[in-house]
Amino acid sequence: MTAPTTAMFTLPVQDETSAPFWEAAREGRFLIQRCPETGRYQWYPRAHSIHAPHARPEWVEASGRGELLSHSVVHRGNQPGDPYVCALIRLEEGVTVFSRVEGIAENDLRAGLPLAVAFHSLDDSTSLPVFRPRTAAQGIEA
Amino acid sequence: MDLSGKTAIVGAFESTRRDAPRVHPFALQMDCILGALDDAGLALKDVDGLCAASGDWAEGGGTMDVIELAEYIGITPTYVNSTDVGGCSYIMQAGQAAAAIATGLAEVVVISYAACPRWWPLNTPSFDPFVFPAGPGQYEIPYAPTLISTYGLFARRHMDLYGTTPEQLAQVAVTFRNHAIQNPHARLRKPITVDDVLASPMIASPLHRLDCCVVTDGGGAVVMTSRERARDLKKKPVYLAGYGAAVARTQNSQIPDDLKTPAALSGPRAFAMAGVTHDDIDVAQIYDAFTVTPMLALEDLGFCGRGESGSFVADGNLTLGGRLPSNTDGGGLSSNHPGKRGIFTLIESVRQLRGEGPGVQVPDAKVAMAHGLGGTFCSAATAILAV
Repeated sequence: MTAPTTAMFTLPVQDETSAPFWEAAREGRFLIQRCPETGRYQWYPRAHSIHAPHARPEWVEASGRGELLSHSVVHRGNQPGDPYVCALIRLEEGVTVFSRVEGIAENDLRAGLPLAVAFHSLDDSTSLPVFRPRTAAQGIEA
Repeated sequence: MDLSGKTAIVGAFESTRRDAPRVHPFALQMDCILGALDDAGLALKDVDGLCAASGDWAEGGGTMDVIELAEYIGITPTYVNSTDVGGCSYIMQAGQAAAAIATGLAEVVVISYAACPRWWPLNTPSFDPFVFPAGPGQYEIPYAPTLISTYGLFARRHMDLYGTTPEQLAQVAVTFRNHAIQNPHARLRKPITVDDVLASPMIASPLHRLDCCVVTDGGGAVVMTSRERARDLKKKPVYLAGYGAAVARTQNSQIPDDLKTPAALSGPRAFAMAGVTHDDIDVAQIYDAFTVTPMLALEDLGFCGRGESGSFVADGNLTLGGRLPSNTDGGGLSSNHPGKRGIFTLIESVRQLRGEGPGVQVPDAKVAMAHGLGGTFCSAATAILAV
């Protein structure tokens, strides 16, 4: 698989709320949010907790491990670089994220596939998380 | 206040165009508005309410689209509604227009739509949630999801959860194509088989090209007024018996595990208002942007059990003579789909209840359902219409 270039990805518009997420991503860490009142996780990140709307969520580092929930292989995409795999990934923490799955043949994609986060550096300010099949070192047994 | 039966659709018009090169969408809307008013025996001077959602790509307008359209038409309406929740906007606007009419805010309301994606030359930035990489979208848009790939996520998970097959999905396209064959205005009228669908190019797995709607230019309009005024007009009134709507999500990460969509909220509200059951529906128009689209609607609306839509379709329930004859004009998969198809579900419901269907006609239909979704199952609106 060829290395992705910035041109293949629309850059995210980072803001006050999301700054810690993208900062951590640049260091290769995947953050999610947790409600300080209920202890429940949430994705996507917001300035408030959806479990206790007056509470400000706190950032926690996720395990970066999850499993494939559903996927679609884009053969006619919006951008160059297809085919590519759009996917829903259920993280170990219980939240579902949308990302790409890389490093696996289309025919080997199946629900429940163990995945781990990896990062593409798009430019100085942005590292984009993607997911790849877990290696033995990353704990294939969830 | 009980809204059921207080208002009626008294005029309906669908443009027969599928290609409208260099026609501005507002010009096409004007054709449709005049057509619908003529159908009702009303004139433009009678109109005091205007509903439109014309601000997205290839629709001609911007963020103040309803004003732009009113100006173009040459009216100064005192009731307007530009609710834009995607494809079902016009069904939602019909429910809201009914409330406005019933409470005296408006008397004669036009609901209108047109888009010309086949020739539209401007690559103006869209701010819809499927392309905008800020806020919630910053965590998804960089991965370049397509609308079709999101429907693919729904379809793939439905297969995993319930054993739904690509053949069952394909049967949706085959069924509606069989209806389109009878509709002289339908974009695609050549018979197809399940094998044809499966052999067509994969666009976003598991959806093939023939699992996807056509892309046409086109437009349509309906006219609504009070029950009292409807009685004196040209055609048999089609009463709005029930209405329900809901919005839920835009981001892929918020797709629920059980794939439940807001149709599970809009449907029961519409049925309750109308006081009808599923068996009372003689004919249905169910938004079919992709083959999986009406399948999830059938489950959420309660026409079949959770996960049973594949066999429900394969058993022939949606064909003429089946339990729920649907998309009698050929639907979005075969007849027309300029982008937001909800208006056509209303128009075809009206035609079926008047015995004017251009495709297959359900004999003596008395109760119809028009159901739409918006975006990627982001919103839903359901209307029960009756004569």
